[in-house]
Amino acid sequence: MMETPALPVPEARSPIPASLRGIFPVLVALPVLALFQWLLSESPFAVYLLSVMGVNIILAVSLNIVNGMTGQFSIGHAGFMAVGAYISGVLSLNLKEVALSFLPVAASDQVLFTVALLVGGLAAAACGFLVGLPSLRLRGDYLAIVTLGFGEIIRVVVQNTDAFGRALGLSGIPQYSSPYMVYFWVFLVVLVARRIAGSSHGRSLWAIREDEVAAEAMGVDTTGYKVRSFVISSFFAGIAGGLFAHFVPIINPGSFTFVKSMEIVVMVVLGGLGSTTGAIVAAIFLTLLPEGLRSLFNALGTEGTLAQKVDQIRMPIYGLMLVALMLSRPQGLFGMREIWDVLPRWIPRRRRGLS
Amino acid sequence: MSAAVQASVGSGAPLLQADGVSIQFGGLKALTDFSLTIRQGDLQGLIGPNGAGKSTAFNVLTGVYQPTRGEVRVGGLRVNGLKPHQINHLGLARTFQNIRLFRALTALDNVKVACRAQGALHPHDTGFGGKAKNALANYRDWWRALLLTPRFQTEERELTRQAEHLLEVMGLSHRRDEEARNLPYGEQRRLEIARALGTKPKVLLLDEPAAGMNTREKADLMVLIRKLRDDFQLGVLVIEHDMKLVMGICEHITVLDHGETIARGAPAQVRSDRKVIEAYLGDSYLESHGGAA
Repeated sequence: MMETPALPVPEARSPIPASLRGIFPVLVALPVLALFQWLLSESPFAVYLLSVMGVNIILAVSLNIVNGMTGQFSIGHAGFMAVGAYISGVLSLNLKEVALSFLPVAASDQVLFTVALLVGGLAAAACGFLVGLPSLRLRGDYLAIVTLGFGEIIRVVVQNTDAFGRALGLSGIPQYSSPYMVYFWVFLVVLVARRIAGSSHGRSLWAIREDEVAAEAMGVDTTGYKVRSFVISSFFAGIAGGLFAHFVPIINPGSFTFVKSMEIVVMVVLGGLGSTTGAIVAAIFLTLLPEGLRSLFNALGTEGTLAQKVDQIRMPIYGLMLVALMLSRPQGLFGMREIWDVLPRWIPRRRRGLS
Repeated sequence: MSAAVQASVGSGAPLLQADGVSIQFGGLKALTDFSLTIRQGDLQGLIGPNGAGKSTAFNVLTGVYQPTRGEVRVGGLRVNGLKPHQINHLGLARTFQNIRLFRALTALDNVKVACRAQGALHPHDTGFGGKAKNALANYRDWWRALLLTPRFQTEERELTRQAEHLLEVMGLSHRRDEEARNLPYGEQRRLEIARALGTKPKVLLLDEPAAGMNTREKADLMVLIRKLRDDFQLGVLVIEHDMKLVMGICEHITVLDHGETIARGAPAQVRSDRKVIEAYLGDSYLESHGGAA
């Protein structure tokens, strides 16, 4: 019953009234995103790069919910991304000619795009549920193997299905995506991840990560929570896939291999398992890294098939970075903390602990 | 035997009841015909030499293991086959012999995990109706958290208050924002009890709560346990190695050896029991000292 004056509960000092706190980030984010879109509309390359970066952030932040917060090692995230990409891609392809007559064409396209995205996300979430329900009773390595297998199954299924264009992939998906849309979803996934982390649900996930037996004994429905975190994570992976499908010229099974899954795992581990901002920073870094290397090589004067060369050495570089990181900072960049916990002292920081 | 069961000191309906519980791992009989009744206000001890099956008994009571035979009832409800978290929701909380805190979480968050608004409305209703209700409640709960509704914020504040209160009771207020793994050993043990209390139990099972403590700390802890029993109106079952300690505070003791209940009753009665002395000191002791002490 005590209320320590030195450490008021954070809610008490916030200037935003309780009823508005839920919607407040959205009110801030929408104008910021609009401004962002307006500033950016000139350069197609920047648009593309930022979109890729945004998709990677969504993937990393969503995988962090499972791998970081819940401590379940899933390495099939690209599989869920593929489900979202193909389902929403096929949907958009088939709805290409459809227009909602009561809306202007552009708005109608965006509405259909949103629907396609959501359907893709829900399909991925359903896959997450189907894969998660039996396999989340397994621990550690076993779960990793099951998710790995799932990712490969999806890829093989796609490769052998006519509707998904087999190995050639799907082309001609309308390019509905925009940085505005991508970063709106980035915003959503970050908001969801942070709000989960700050709620009793998030604490239950952390508890499972820390000690499953104790969590169960303290009344946490461990299997239920693991499945739910898996479903939420898969949903956003599906959304990321859907966004991806609507700004790249072609999607094929090669975009969703084990390598892609590992790339996302690397982002999460690099950022620090459990740190949402860490996942964001790592995703940005690892998206820009190949570009940075490309310009570096350009400056060095190596001409020719540069893109290929950079692509070829990207994986060794990932590997080396992981090794170096694991040796120097086994807990990742931020560990379990968020960026504001590790900022210099003079920046006002949040109270320690979760939320 | 049933007379001994009746001898429990507490009042009211039995909160926790084990009836002829046996558990077998392959050929190993870890626990045979184990019976126990705990009522509100009880402070009972469960003792026995190493490997006697004390912790196994705890694990059966809390649902970690399923009994091969017999049945366990919590608050009158049969809990065989329920999962540990469901049994916990029915009012049974425990601590662990080897401390199992959520190490990277702060002391406050450790307790808040346990305090969380118990999502399941009908933990014992495992039929379709109960499951559907629980699922719906859980779904609403998630949305409240994601939308950060005022109601969610109120609940969260309430959880914090409860957790702070429990930390205060256990004398851990000064450790509120400290990570559990950084607490000294004795405080970790107390935090485990605070966490168990967070689940609002009716019965508290303590697995060697005084392990690794010195005599003074042990004595303090036992006083505290008694106080908790009275303040929170609990039934308490303590596993303890230290005979002297258990004899001092428990009103009723069950002695296990090789999975079998070899004695039960008031401390004085148990202390002079031939089988107990044999189990603890070996029969050569009996021979050289000429029978019961």
